Formats: sequence, C-alpha cells, structure tokens
Amino acid sequence: MKRYGLLSSLTAIALFIVLETVAILLVVKGGVVQRYKVLGAVRSVQAWFWTRTSQATYYFHYKTENERLAAENLQLRQQLARYASAKAELDSVVRIIEPDYTFIGATVIRNSVDRQHNYLILDRGAKEGVEPGMGVVTARGVIGIVSAVSRHYSYVISLLNTEQSVSAKLAGSGAFGPMNWPGLAPDKAVLSEIPVHVQAAPGDTVLSSGFSTIYPPDIPIGRVVESKINQGSSQDLTILLFEDFRSLHNVYIVKNNRGEEIRELNANAHE
Amino acid sequence: MNKTGDILFFVLLFILQLVISDYVHLGPWVSLTLIPLLIICIPLSRSPHAVMLIAFALGLGLDILSDGVPGLNAFAAVLAAAPRKFFYRILVNADRQDKTEVPKIREVGLMKYLKYLGVITALYLAAYILVDCVSFRPPLFLLGQFLISWVASTALCLLLSLPLQNRS
Repeated sequence: MKRYGLLSSLTAIALFIVLETVAILLVVKGGVVQRYKVLGAVRSVQAWFWTRTSQATYYFHYKTENERLAAENLQLRQQLARYASAKAELDSVVRIIEPDYTFIGATVIRNSVDRQHNYLILDRGAKEGVEPGMGVVTARGVIGIVSAVSRHYSYVISLLNTEQSVSAKLAGSGAFGPMNWPGLAPDKAVLSEIPVHVQAAPGDTVLSSGFSTIYPPDIPIGRVVESKINQGSSQDLTILLFEDFRSLHNVYIVKNNRGEEIRELNANAHE
Repeated sequence: MNKTGDILFFVLLFILQLVISDYVHLGPWVSLTLIPLLIICIPLSRSPHAVMLIAFALGLGLDILSDGVPGLNAFAAVLAAAPRKFFYRILVNADRQDKTEVPKIREVGLMKYLKYLGVITALYLAAYILVDCVSFRPPLFLLGQFLISWVASTALCLLLSLPLQNRS
C-alpha cells in the first residue's frame, strides 16, 4: 500500500513536469497558423459570432467612425488631386504607371488591446487575395501584419504586441529606427535607436519609413511626447499613436506589388 | 449534488471564462480569471493525475478558443491544480474529518473558503503573469497587475461560488 502511494506520487510529479514542459514549449513556439488549420470548423462558428457582435458594437460607434472616415476621405481627395496634377505632367514621360501598393479594405471583427500579444481578426481572407506577411494600416497608422489566413478571414498580429517591430522615421529629420510597443498603454509606443544628435521635440510627427516590403512609406503613425537618452549612445522616443486601437473598425490590407521582386533580389544578393 | 448539474455548472463557468476573455477588457492591469474556481470545482476524490490533466485541458482550451498564447493558461492551470489537495488540507480541512467532494462556503466557512480560493488564484495568476510578461514589463507594474488581478479574480470567483451553495 505504502509502495503504491510512493509510486502514485512519483508518477504525479512526472506528469506535472511533462505537462508544464509541454505548456512552456507551446508558449515558446506560438503556433498561430497551426491553430488556425486545426480549428477550421470551430473558427467558422466563432467568426460568425464575432462578426455579429462586431456589427452590434459598431452600431454604437458609427457617429465617431463616420466622422473619422469623412476626415480621411477629405485627406485622400486632396492627395488624389495632387497626384492627378503630377500624373498629367508625368504621362508624357512614363507610359504605364503601376502603383507600388494596392489596398484591400477590411473590417475588424475581433480585436484585443490589453494582452501582451494582441491580435486582430479581419473579414477578408485568401479568397480576396490576402496572404500572410501583408501589412495592415489605416490613414492614422500602422496596425499590424497578417500572420495566418483562412478562406474568408485573416489573423493579424497587432502592433500592440511586444514581439512586433515597425521601421519608423521622424518626419523632419528622416532619422529612423525600430518602433516597438512596450506592453503598457495601448496608445503609446517607443521609437528607439535614434542618434543623439538628432533633435526630436515633443509634437514631432513619426511616419512609417517604408524600409520594409510590408508597409508603404510616410503613413503618419504618431507624435513624439518624450525623449530619453539610452546609455549615452541613442535616444528612445515615446510616441503617442494617432490610431485608437480600442475602436478600430475599418482597415486596409497592404499588398506590395513589388514585394516579390525585392525579396528575390535580396535572396540573390545573399547567395 | 447531482453529477449532470455539476458538469453543466462546470461547462457554464468555462463558457463564462471564454466570454470574459473575449469581451471584458479592463486594461493591462487586470487579468480576470475563473480558472481557479474551475479547479476548485473538480471533485476532491479525483486523483492528482486526473486533476492536472483536466486543468491542462481547461487552460489549453481557453488559450486556443480565446486566441491567447497557446500554453500560457495551461501552464498556470497545472501549476495551480497540482498542489490543490495540499492547500485544501492545510487551509480548510486540517483535521481531515471532512469528506466533502467540492468545498462549499456553508460547509467550510467563509474565511477558510476564501483562503483556499485566494491561494489557488494567487498561484494561477503568479504563473500566468510571470510567463506572459516578466521580461517585458517593469517589476512594479507586474506586482500591481498581480495584486489588482488577484483581488478582482478572487472576488469574482467568490461571487460565482454562491450558486454552489444552493445545490445539495
């Protein structure tokens, strides 16, 4: 009897170690894509439910969202007018102008902002041409990167994720560096590795740098609220994000039409 | 206590936990959890092996269905479930006379129940918060997050324990 008790305790300890090791390995590995493949049917039911609840929530914010979209529309019209006049001049020189980026409009049906690893689910998937690795933006900022895609939905790793990094630059000086979310307030991020000699005043605008194939350049992201010298060699700038991640609804998925070419070039250069 | 009723209550608590994870966002300072109450609701007659496996399944199920980090809740749930009986003995049933299956406030007393629930919740949250963000957030923030989450989760679990009292 005593021997049985000892054996039972030992197997319980062994099981504890095995389960905790498996759990830690899962934490380390992540496995978003696998989760999506395994849970296909369950996800469809959940996505249906999330779409309905997202629509219901949106109803209560439609006034704010309409005002935001109207402002964005006005800004885009002004931009279009500038491009139209520039294009008229260029047409005589360049016959075909293919845009570098095209955009797929999408609606956020799920969004988290209070975790360490936040994410979004959008109502556009492989059927609409969405692929993993594409960026997600709004007119007020960079939102995240598509991590997994099902036929009708896509899973986006939010900028509000401590493992996510975006290349950003200061509008005035053009100094650039990686921008990360430190995991605290959902409206603040940190732009680091800015040289000490670069003057960054509170209020300076921060834009996407366009140095990756994911996001187009010059998307306004936020403004500087504070700068701090980091070990005497560079500055860390605290950025107040323009986009309110808590009320995200309409976003754009970015397709870089030259992304493949750039990636091939990179691969060839490294061979 | 009726077995079907127990299972139904358990499933309802789990669904409520999913709803909390999906729709109740109280900011980075608060992590609300019902997993400690679910662990307490597993009958005490179950072997430690079964309790750990159930806790692992609960945690992993929550991680997957609420799009959390896979393994995070599972890790915390197993850590809280493993010493459950030990804490029950030292905090609630020191003389080992009580043969209850699922501890209830009216049987063990409010203070003893609260201590037991508080310890299981503290273990769960400590593991959860440390694995989730120990390298990213400052220690004072972690301590604040732990204390606020602990008070909020223990209070919520206590509130939801009340339906247990009305069942024979």
